[in-house]
Parts: sequence; structure tokens; C-alpha cells
Amino acid sequence: MDMAQADTLPKRLIAACQKFGKQQVAMRQKDRGVWREFTWGQSYEQVQRLALGLMSLGLKRGDKVCIVGDNDPQYFWAQLAVQSCGGVAVGIFTDSTPPEIEYIVQHSDAAFVFAKDQEQCDKLLTVRANVPAVRSVIYWEAKGLWNYSDSWLMSFESVQALGQQLNSEQPELFERSVMDGRPDDLAIFCYTSGTTGQPKGAMISHRNLLATCDQTVQVDPRFETDEYLSFLPPAWITENGLGLAFHLRVGMVVNFPESPETVQENLREIAPHALLFSARLWESLVALVQVRMGESTWINRILYRVFMPIGHKVASLRFETRRPVDLGWRVLHALGEVALFQPLRDKMGLTRVRSAYSSGAALNPDVIRFFRAIGVSIKQLYGSTEGQVHTAHIGDDVKFETVGKPTPGMSLKIADDGEIWVSGGSVFHGYYKNPGATVSALVTDSEGRRWFRTGDAGHLDPDGHLIYLDRMKELLELAGGQKYSPQYLEGRLKFSPYVRDVMTVGGAERAFVAALINIDFGNVGRWAEKRGLAYTTFTDLTQKPEVYELIRKEVEQVNRTLPAAARIRRFVLLHKEFDADEGELTRTRKLRRNLLSDRYGEMITAMYSGADAVQVRASVKYRDGREGTVETSVRVAALESAATVEDSSR
Amino acid sequence: MPETSRHLSVRNVSLSFGGLQALNDVSFDVNPGEIVAIIGPNGAGKTSLLNCVNGFYRPDQGSITFEGHEVTRTPPHRIASLGIARTFQNTALYTGLSVLNNLLSARHIHMRANFLQCLLYWGAARREDIAHRAMVEEIIDFLEIEHIRKAIVGALPHGLRKRVELGRALAMEPRLLLLDEPMTGMNQEEKEDMARFILDVHEQRQITLVLIEHDMGLVMDIAQRVVVLDFGVKIAEGVPEDIRHNEAVIKAYLGEAA
Repeated sequence: MDMAQADTLPKRLIAACQKFGKQQVAMRQKDRGVWREFTWGQSYEQVQRLALGLMSLGLKRGDKVCIVGDNDPQYFWAQLAVQSCGGVAVGIFTDSTPPEIEYIVQHSDAAFVFAKDQEQCDKLLTVRANVPAVRSVIYWEAKGLWNYSDSWLMSFESVQALGQQLNSEQPELFERSVMDGRPDDLAIFCYTSGTTGQPKGAMISHRNLLATCDQTVQVDPRFETDEYLSFLPPAWITENGLGLAFHLRVGMVVNFPESPETVQENLREIAPHALLFSARLWESLVALVQVRMGESTWINRILYRVFMPIGHKVASLRFETRRPVDLGWRVLHALGEVALFQPLRDKMGLTRVRSAYSSGAALNPDVIRFFRAIGVSIKQLYGSTEGQVHTAHIGDDVKFETVGKPTPGMSLKIADDGEIWVSGGSVFHGYYKNPGATVSALVTDSEGRRWFRTGDAGHLDPDGHLIYLDRMKELLELAGGQKYSPQYLEGRLKFSPYVRDVMTVGGAERAFVAALINIDFGNVGRWAEKRGLAYTTFTDLTQKPEVYELIRKEVEQVNRTLPAAARIRRFVLLHKEFDADEGELTRTRKLRRNLLSDRYGEMITAMYSGADAVQVRASVKYRDGREGTVETSVRVAALESAATVEDSSR
Repeated sequence: MPETSRHLSVRNVSLSFGGLQALNDVSFDVNPGEIVAIIGPNGAGKTSLLNCVNGFYRPDQGSITFEGHEVTRTPPHRIASLGIARTFQNTALYTGLSVLNNLLSARHIHMRANFLQCLLYWGAARREDIAHRAMVEEIIDFLEIEHIRKAIVGALPHGLRKRVELGRALAMEPRLLLLDEPMTGMNQEEKEDMARFILDVHEQRQITLVLIEHDMGLVMDIAQRVVVLDFGVKIAEGVPEDIRHNEAVIKAYLGEAA
């Protein structure tokens, strides 16, 4: 069978066996300290026996089967087996509590459940009375289950033995069942972690999964010789799309970690060609390198101090100013490659990475710069369970403030209220047994295109890149009805090394957005010293016109990515730092907004009344418990009107 | 009961350090496949008793037999190769070695290749090396310590060290395992994990267990029989339910006034 004609995942498994060869390695798993290989032929046989076993247990087309387990070959085999029978695989996160598992098993009408081990089987046994529709629970790791005599539990092998028997009776049954599959058959349900209410089961068809894969592979080529490490939760759509679907399509080898705790170590051993980390994880990697360097030998520290600036310099020439790098820099960079960059990449398992993606929250540009300096270009990816990959940075077209462009085959539009809508082959089929939610999420336009309303707010920049703001419901409205995103403004401003904290002010009674800004004393102080700018105290430093100018540039840079109404028009640099001891921040440094609005009320009023400065008297608590007052004049900075900002940027 | 069917038999053992009578005429038996707990207030002689069983101390009087062998005067390393392994109250691992090497060190008693074979690392020596590593990997998998396989033991937290020490004892492939306070200094979750491992060891590997433990809830949950010591004297022995209501035991723990 040709890969192009293989329009379901199980059909692709059969096609892959033919294309890549039954003897070729398809998967690897580290077990007992050794990477063990599974060939395409073995994968096929595992799926075949398991599928036939499920059939002899009575699984019918359209039945649902839940799977709860870590990243193991068995997880993928179970999923493909279910789909080979025409069933739907429903992934459940391994850290789910028994009531959460009960909800999904009940709601999805599961006929069987795959549960990896004793821990997961125990959870199902606790809720057994409430899930009477489940005929068997099938486990693939027997440890600790030796003395369980409950016939509700079955081992993977015993189901496969049933399949083996059926296969000897009807050898053509498996492939016939696979060929009966249609691209619009549902392949998986992904239950989305609803922040409010119960999770919803997004229904995703084979066509959806294959569309993402076929679209993404056009702009991000993958090869048969590629290595991939499967460590994202398999119940999550991303692992299905970027992992399993790619594996079947391009034949890349999927490696499974020894245990969830060994991912970092296994990553280094495999050095995958493609990976996706959350923004948080990329950030923590940078922090880890810095800490480890501090503890390292003197020679390593010297190499780091000498070559990191060279890496940064060359990366900024290449990516930011986009100028050719002259020979001198190239020689130094080549030395750095041998002495520092390559060893650092090796430690993090990034030696071969071609597609390094970040998803989730916005990534700090400094983190991107750090990885560029050592030779890894991180790209942002934006997507959802319902629509899979919406946009990505394609090739070298990477912009810090955006999440990239729609991948080929995806259409994207911004609705009148600023909501992002996407359309394409990957857009899902609705929520299982929840027509209300389906109707509000899916819209068919006059041309018959199906659009998914993402619930996210954003807009397109002049180059067609998407700027993601926040969830729609997190946006606030100004007096004129225009919306703005406090989260975006504050988050982006805090990416500046000179800004420590920001609180934006606005809301329905005010015409524009203003901001209270705390400078970063250390960084701004050093900046001032470098320029020979004299200052006495923190308060004094904050009120220097030069410092206002410095911060104004930072604010303008963020403003430039936003429509006029959502920009910051006035700001003050606070004369003192927000202090958790005074209750201005929580211990985790979150702003106590109500308290701050009261405490800095005079400044806020001044910003909206058009005053140039405001006289403040604030009580401060010193470390030794004494109280004092600070009296000073704080300047209000007004930014140029939107139009002039636009001009100055050109 | 015929002598051979008793796994471990402790007969009239007494031990004193100068004027201090640590053990006074203690006798008890452990049957194959049992989990026996030894309990008692601090200083009751529990650890001294374990030390007598694995040959660290020589009792002044009495005899200890294991599977019919007299082991009373046998040195510890001989006892280890007879099939008795133990863990210590304060873990006694090689802190400078990796977890893997600590576990492999326990395979020493099973190593057969001679110096020359090891030097050449060829034929039997090589096969043996692989077999030992495979055995150790089984234990690593069993105790779920894959992620610290190559970590240096000295850098590990207490709870994990306890687990590694259990692993090292298991790597000896003992038939009798002595555990000296396997759960001291652990939080509730670590204790529950450890209890699960101990039960799994017993269930899957059919190893007889003798353990000293202070957490009474745990003892009552996992032990099949309990031996109670007080000032070196055995004051009670029986199933957990009986021990719970035993007057002498309550008195030993709570004092005369109670």
C-alpha cells in the first residue's frame, strides 16, 4: 500500500512496514539499562495480535477504549490496535485521581481500559462499581499484580494469546478490519483539562491527525533516519501528532525513556532531531547551565566567559541584524564550537536537534538568544487540542514577539472581537456528548469552511505573523470598549532586564492603559554606572530622566506589537520596590492588585489627569521593624501618540 | 518440628558487654517464607540480636542455626554466602561509589572468575560479568531506581539510600533478609513505598524477612509474627493482634504506672 493512500493510522502502519522494511528498527526502549529495539515487523505483530485479541473479547467498530499509562511502546501498540478494530482510543493522564479517571471512563462509554501497572489498576479497582460498562482492564506491567486474582484484570500477553488464536483461524481478519477504516472515523478523544467545569472530550479523526503531520512535514522535514524521544504525555494531542503520526509517516525511530524520571539522561543518549519543550523547561535549562557553570572547574568557567559573548555576537549578526559574519568572528566562533558550544549542547541532548520547539507561555527573548549563541534555534509553536498545530516559526523566519505563521493548509483569521479562528484539515469534529460546547466552538461560514474558535486573543503583524495575547476571557475592556491584555503587557515588559515588576492599570472607567513600573535596581544601576550617571539612592535613580528614557524605549518596543488602543500611554517609575514584607506582593511575587491600586492611588490619578509629576508620601517599613516615611516627587511619562510611535519605528 | 524445616533457629542466646546484659536467654524460630518483626523499647537488644544472627557479635551462650547449619561462631562473610543478607539502621553503603557499583559489590560472593580471566575479560569472565549486571538491573527495575543508577550514593537523600541498601541486600540473592529499621527517618509517602517494596520482595522473591521497626502501625500491617524484647529478655511472641493486647508489652512500652 502506498503511504499517500494510507488514510488511517493503522493503514499507515501496514504501509510503513512495506516502505521501511520489516527488519528495520521502528522503536527503542531502555529497559534494564540497555536500549532494546523493536522492528517494524515486531510492531506490526504486536498490534495485530492485540487487535485480534480485543476483537475476540468483543470490541466492535466505534467502541471506545481508555488508555492510562506512561510513554511505552505498549501505549502506542494499544492505541493502534484499538484503531485497527475501528475503535477510538481515549488517553488519560497518569497522574489523574480515581474520580478523574472514573469521569473520563464513564463519559467516554469505554468498553475496555488499558492501565499500565499496579498503580493505575488500583485506581480502576477503586472506582470499579461506577464503571460497569468496562469489560476488562488490561495491564502491561505485571509487577506487584502477581497476587491479584480478580478476573477483571487481564495481562497484555493473555489478550495477545487470544489474538494469536483468532489469527490462526482467520489470518486475513486483521488486515481486512484495518482496510475497513475510513479517514473520517474517529481515532482518539482528547479530554481537555477544563479550568472550569468537567473536561470535554475532543473528537479527533484519522484525517485530522494525518493532516497535521502532512502539513507540518512540508515546512519541517523529517527523515527515516531521525531519532525522536517520546516523553510528552501520550494522552496529550501533541505526542499523537508530533510523535506517533510522524513515526508512521516518515519512519523516524521513536525512543521511549526508561522511566519518567530518566528523561533528561535518555535525552542526552538519544540526542533527538526534533523535540518540543514548554517555555518553562527551556528557561530552566538556561538556569541549570548557569548554576552548573558556577560550580564547574576554573577552566570551564573561563571557556564559558570567553566564548559565550562570541556566541551571542555571532548569533545576533546572523539572526538579528542579518549581516554576513566576517572571517575573524567565524574563526573565533569555530573555536567556541569545539571548546564550549558543542559540549554544552551534548550535555542537554541537543547535538542533533533540527526542530526545537517551545510551546505554552511566551518565551523570554534572552532564552532564545542563549540557545542561538550555542547553536540551537528555538521556534515557537502555537496550537490547541481541537485544532492541533495552528502556527509555527518556519525556517529562519523567527520573531521573538510572535508565534509564527499558519502552517501550510491552515487558515487563520482574527474575528471582529479579536478572537483567533483557525480552519484546516486538522480541525476536530466536536466534543463528545456535548453539542452545546461543539456549537459554540465550531462555526461553518457561507463558503462551507469549518472554523474553530480558539478562545484565544491575538492579532497579525504586518508580516503575517501571529501575535498571541492571552485567553479571550482574560482580556480587560477600556472605557471606549477596546480590549487589552494585562498579562501580555506585563509579561513582555518583564522580559526586559531593566524591568523588575509592572502593574498595568486600566479597566472600564479609564480611557487608556497606564503602568506602574519597578525598575531592576541591579541592572539599571550597572547601566547607569557604565554611562557615568551619578545617583545616590534607589529613589534617586528611578527619577533620572535618562532612566525614564531607557524604560520608555522598552515600553515602546512592546507597544509596537500592539494595536493603538491596547498600548501603554503613561507610566511612572516607582520610587520604591514592591515588597512582599509590606504585603504588596505575595510570597511567590504575584501582585496584590487591589492593595497596590489603593496604595499608589495618587499616582494613578495623576497619570489619568495629565499631570507631569506627583508628590508622594509613602510609609515604609524598614528591616529592623521601624517605620518611616519617604517624600519625593515622581515623574509621569507620557508616550507619544500611537501614530508617532508607528513612525519612529520605521 | 524437625530441625531442618526451621529456617532460622535462635536457642538460648545470651550476650553481655562487660556488666551490661544485652541479651538474656533469647530463643525464637523463623519459618521459611515468614515475615517476623522484632520490636521493643530503645536499648532492648534488637540490633544486638540481629548482629548475633549475621555474625557481627558472638553470643556468650546459646546457638544459632540457619537451615540446619550452625552459624553461631561463623564469621560474617561466611554467613553472607550461606544466604543471609542485612541492611543497617544507619545505612552502610559505599558513599563514594555509584548506586550501580554498590549493588554490584553485593554480587562479589557469587563471582567465580579468577584474576587472570578477569584481566583478559574473555569467555566465562565476560559472560559472568554480563549475568551479574543483568541481575543488578533486575533489582534496579524492581526498586524503581533507574534514574539514580549512575548517581554517587553520597549525594543521595536518605530515603533513596535506604532503598539502595535494600537493593544491595537483594543483590546477594539471600534466602533470609534482616532489615534493621528500614523506615527510620522517612516521611509517610516514603514509608508506604518502602512497605510496598518489602511486601513485593516477600511475595515475588519468596525471601524470609526479619525486621526491626518502631512504627507500630506498619509492623502490625506487614508482620505475620512479632517477637518483643525488653532489657534483653523476650517478653512476648505471637501474631500482631495478640501482641497489641499483651499486658507485658503494654507495660514495657508505657512503663509501670500505666
